[in-house]
Formats: sequence, C-alpha cells, structure tokens
Amino acid sequence: MKSPIPPRPRNLLPVWLAAILAVLWLIVRDLEISFETLAYGASDLVEYFGRYRHFDFSELSRYLELMGVTLATALWGTALAFVIAFILAPFAARNMTPSPIAYRIAREILNFLRAIPDLLMGLIFVAALGLGPLPGALALGLHTAGFLGKFFAESFERIDRGICEGVASTGASFAQVVMYAGWPSILREATGYTLFMLDRNVRMGAVLGLVGAGGIGLALQDTLRLFNYPQAATLILVILVTILILDYGTAWLRAKLN
Amino acid sequence: MRALNWQWPTRNGLPLPGTMISIVVAVTALGLTASVAEISLPRLIGSLGKMTVFIAQMFQGFNWDYLPQMLAKMLETLEMTVLATAIAVVISLPLGVLAAKNASPHPIVYRLTRDVLSLMRALPELVWALVFVSAVGLGPLPGVMALAFVTVGFMAKFFAESIEVVDSKAVEGVHAHGASWVQVRYFAMLPQALPDLVGTLMYILDHNLRAATILGLVGAGGIGYDMVMSMRLFQYDRLILIGLGIYVVVTLLDRLSDTLRSRLLHGKRV
Amino acid sequence: MSSISIQSVSKRFPNGFEALKHIDVDIASGSFTVILGPSGAGKSTLLRMMNGLETPSTGAIVIDGERICRNKLRSIRSRVSMVFQQFNLVDRLSVMTNVLTGRLSQRSWFGSVLYLFRREDMDIAQQALQRVGLIDKAWNRADKLSGGQQQRVGIARALAQNPKVILADEPVASLDPVASGEIMTLLREICERDNITVVVNLHQVELARRFADRIIGMNDGRLVFDGTPEQLTSSALHTIYRREGTTHESVELAVAYA
Repeated sequence: MKSPIPPRPRNLLPVWLAAILAVLWLIVRDLEISFETLAYGASDLVEYFGRYRHFDFSELSRYLELMGVTLATALWGTALAFVIAFILAPFAARNMTPSPIAYRIAREILNFLRAIPDLLMGLIFVAALGLGPLPGALALGLHTAGFLGKFFAESFERIDRGICEGVASTGASFAQVVMYAGWPSILREATGYTLFMLDRNVRMGAVLGLVGAGGIGLALQDTLRLFNYPQAATLILVILVTILILDYGTAWLRAKLN
Repeated sequence: MRALNWQWPTRNGLPLPGTMISIVVAVTALGLTASVAEISLPRLIGSLGKMTVFIAQMFQGFNWDYLPQMLAKMLETLEMTVLATAIAVVISLPLGVLAAKNASPHPIVYRLTRDVLSLMRALPELVWALVFVSAVGLGPLPGVMALAFVTVGFMAKFFAESIEVVDSKAVEGVHAHGASWVQVRYFAMLPQALPDLVGTLMYILDHNLRAATILGLVGAGGIGYDMVMSMRLFQYDRLILIGLGIYVVVTLLDRLSDTLRSRLLHGKRV
Repeated sequence: MSSISIQSVSKRFPNGFEALKHIDVDIASGSFTVILGPSGAGKSTLLRMMNGLETPSTGAIVIDGERICRNKLRSIRSRVSMVFQQFNLVDRLSVMTNVLTGRLSQRSWFGSVLYLFRREDMDIAQQALQRVGLIDKAWNRADKLSGGQQQRVGIARALAQNPKVILADEPVASLDPVASGEIMTLLREICERDNITVVVNLHQVELARRFADRIIGMNDGRLVFDGTPEQLTSSALHTIYRREGTTHESVELAVAYA
C-alpha cells in the first residue's frame, strides 16, 4: 500500500518575489527614475568618466596635507568614541549593568548617538565652534561612540555568566567587575571593533569637509564645481590610496590580533 | 610606584610590554595629531554657551506646515535605500560567488573580483554621489547609483565570506550526483549561506538608510538637502522636525534589524 | 556559635519554579558540611544565596550575626568566598591576577581599576598560591592550566579573601577522580587548619562520607536529612534521592551510582 505523502507546503517564493518586484516598480515610478535615459546616457557616462583620465599633480602637497587633516580628525574622533563607549558600554550590557534604570539610560544614549547622522552633528558643531577639523572630530566621535558602545555591550553580554559571577562573588564592586571580568574577556574583540571604526571614520572624515568640518572633502566639491576633472581625479586618487593603505594596515593588525 | 607601595601583578611589577607599547603608541599618535585636528579644550569649553543657545533654538518649536514635505522627503530617502539595496543584491549574488574561494571558477577571477570589490567600497557613498551628480544631474538617481555602487562592494564581499564557510560535505554530495557548475552553487551553496545572507542584508539596509539621509547634501535626493538648507537658512523649526524624522526611522530600522538578526542567529527566540 | 544561619528561606523563580521550600538550618563555625541531593533539588540555589548571588523570596540568611542584604553585600562577600564547578576564572588574566581578584573587596576602585595592587596583597596572593601548590604557575594564563589546576586557582582566590566561610558549588563535578580527591583533601585541610567554615555541594555520596563532619540531604527544595556521615544509611539515601514515580529498584540503582 502506498502511504500518502503529506501535502506539499505551498511555495510562497513566487508571491514574495512578485510583491517585491511590484514595490520596486512603484519606487522607480515614484522617484521618477527613467532607466531609458540611463541606457541612452550610458555612452555619455563613459565619456564623462573619460574626463578623469588625466591627473593634475601640481597641488599634490596641499591635497596630502588635507588628507593628513582628515586622518588626524578620524583618529581623534575614534579616540573620543572609544572613551565614551568605554564608559557607557558596561552600563548598557545586561549582565554588567548596576541597575535596570542605568541600563535603559545607557542604551537610549547610545541609540540616540547612532540615530543622528554624523554629518548633521558636523553641521551643528560647525555652527557652534566655527570651521575646522575640531567639530568634525566631535561629530565622528559622538556618532561612532553609539556604534562602539553597542558593539562593546554586545560583546560583554556574550561573556560566560560564570566569569562575572566568579569575580562578583569575591565582593568586587561594579567598576572592579567591569575591569577584571569584563574588559580582559572582550579586549581582542573590542580592539577589532575600534580598528573597524577608525577605518570607517577615515572614509567619513573624507566627506565631512563638505559641511566645513575640515579635511579633504571640501576640496573635492570645489574642484567638481569648477569642472576641474584632472584635479578631482588626483583628489580621488589620494583618498583612494590612503583608504586602501589603511584598509590593509588594519586588516593586518586584526589578523595579528587573532 | 614602588615607593607608593603599589605594583602591577607581573613578574617585574611593571605593566606588560604589549600593553605599555600600545598605550605609548596611541598616546603619541594622538599627541602628534592634536594640533593638526585643532583639538583645543578652551575652544571647546568656550563654545558651550553657543551650543546651548543653538540647542535651545532648535527646541523652540515645530513648523507643522513643513511636516508633509518632510514626510515626502523621508519616504524618498527610504525608497532610495530599498531600491539601491535591491539593485545591489542582484549584482552582488553572482559577484559574491566569483569572490568566494571555494566557488570561484578560477583563482585569478577570485583575486580580480576581490580587488575590484575592495576598490568599490573604498570611497564613501557621498564621494560617488558627488561624481554621479556631476555626471547625470541632480535628483535621486545619482544617489541610488552611488548607494548601489558602494553597497555592491560590501555586500558581495560579505556574501563571498558566507559562501566560504559553507559546509563542504553537502557541496560534494550534490557534486557527486552529477550536478553542473551552476547547479552546485545554486542548490548546495546558496541555501546553506542563506541565513547569513539575510543577516547581511539587514545590516546593509540599516547602513544604507543612514547613508541615504545625508546624500541630499550634494543634491543626490533624499532628506539631506532639506536638512542642510534649513541649517543654512536658520530654519530651526524645520531642522528639529527633520532630526526627529531621521531619528524615528533610523531607530525603527535599527531595532528591526537587531531583532531579525538575533532571531536568525539564535533560532526563534527573542 | 553558628556561622551561617538560614531562617525559613524560600525561593520562587520568576518562571514559577519553587526551588526552595522553607529551609531552616544552622551551620556551625569551623565545620565541614556537605549538601547532598539529586540535581534540581535546590542545593546550588541555597549555596549561591549564602554569597548573595541569589536572593531569597522569603526568609533571611544571617552570616556571623549579619543579615545578607543588598547594601551589605560587598562586606559580606568579602568574608564568604565561593568556589565554582566551572572554576569561573578570567581566562585571559594570569593566575596571579586571578588570585588577586580575591583582594578586590578590600581595595577602593581607584588603584584596582588600573590593576595596581599593594605589596601586602601580593604577599597574600603568593601565600594562597603556595598553599595550593601552584606558585610556579603564577605568571601563566589561567586558561592554559588543567581542570584540577584551575580549581586550585579558584581555591587560592577564595583563600586570598581571608574568608570566614568558603562555599563550594560542585567543586569536583568537572574533574577526574584523582583530582577530585585532591581538591576535597585541600578543602578539608583548609577547614581544619584555618578554622574556616566550609560548605560543599556534592553529588558523590562516597566523597561526602569521606570528608564531611555533617551531611545535609535535600530533595525537591526541602531538607530531608541532617546528620553525621555515620547516620547516612541506605534508607536515608533513599529519602534523599527519591523521585516521584520512581520504583524502589531504580532508586537503588541511582544510589549505587551516586
């Protein structure tokens, strides 16, 4: 006797796919994106990117200096983020926090910092502090403190419960539990996250100049406004090379840590 | 320290060399770059007054007449995010296969794809937006292009990494039954990597939304343009609405992505 | 004089499970007490309460005339040290630093968060390590040691607190028989020489008989036996290890293997 096969579960994939495609079509309509012009303009686009063929190295030293400012801004921003996250993360980790209220407050502060784009913070700090890299460093620092703090707190929450109990059972205070059970256990992960943030802050620092917060971003916008493609190409090259070097550098450091 | 009767718990009573070197390097680097970054505590403290005034101004009131336009712009930002991410998924899936060590057809293809991807993600979205705006004009289109471009760089790399950790036994099993090159990748590798891919997708959606909110700064669509203009024109009653709008949407997606990712990682809990 | 006094303590967990039901027991100063019972009997919960790692739902626990409550937790924990089944050492720290965590309750947060210790703390830690025979491993990382050695570090950490009471929660459950015997001998010796009250949770009847002054049997959150090792007859064991729905034979078997 043939035993009946249980009814085949309905495959909903086509339905989902159709729904997604429909939504995307609506979005394209709403954004008034015309792919026809994009297709027709493909040759124009090739021609356009051809303009970046030539480089103009006459102002290279100024560009390098600007890149240096961007790097310094990113470094200080990351340091600030680390300090804030270092202080807030233990409060924002469920297994470390001294009280549920402190947990809620720390979490909300971190959420808030993450939710405000660093460019908006940059705008605000430029208004208050004037032009220059300092407002940029502040904006980067505060925004990425939200991320670092969250990452650190999540790392804390993955620590074996027993390790924290072991230190707490000796009568250690909150700060002592954090320093002896918490940080040593997550040090490696935390370093990795901080390097990742440094990486991210250099990229972001390269565009903060657009709001007057120092660095190389403003120069790029100016050259593009003046249709000076050789100079723009050089600037992009400088940014690209710096970021790639940094990328490999931090990747190497991370690999060494593991 | 010895005189004070304090010491570190090491053989010689001094901190570990690794710790000492790291701290010295970090402090020196910060010290040397302080002047370049114009770090100045007096300036910071001096600006506190201005900052309070500024924040007070921001909380003076809401321009409710502006609300519909803000919502429209916020919707546009969301739409750009979704569209760019969708385009990036379609491009990243095949590129991810090419950039995975165990799925790539040839080591040279693997190396080449990896390098191209790392170039694509090297520059931030805003730089590409600048370039695309000067190529195709103002509007959401250059924004979507810039977002999709950089996203492919990240997403294909993440996809490749998820494919690389796939269990090789199932792959061999499918292979042994005479499956073709594409079939092995479609039936044995992708299903295994799928949970990872969805997690990556959520993470990237979250990242792209944040990026999309500022693309308007260079005229590439979304709420960023209004944000900068209300800032420049001192329309704080609009700025606070924009800030709130971004805050709410970003936080919602952040929570959603957290919930989904932890559900994928730890099963149906949460 | 009684060192620990447990006064009609009950514990109900948030999920509704009642782990302890009106436990009343006094433990004499300087005695070696073993708590026996099947898993889930509540012996771990009871022990953890004496260190304040769990709080009773009703009733009170008094250590040396002082009732455990939240604001006295630190001072009580400094006198009541804890040894864990999984050792609960901080893996990434040296053996010496792990032992020094036993001194944290005596120090303010300022020096200790910088990992600075006083000369006398170092001496105490060194003596504790000598006592457990691990002085030559002082600078090794804690996770590089074998299970038996890690448990010795756990005991050294407990000793470094200069405690009045040592609580050991299944200290040998993760160890082989030889290491188990060594650890129990060490605990017994500490009890006798330093006149420290020792309370040990065990599930090995044989070890309990060999080392205890007094055995307390628990089943299903209740005290079902209290007496000397000689009084622990096989019928007493049946009471301790009885479970609802089990036959006489299966208990016999369980006791034989316990």
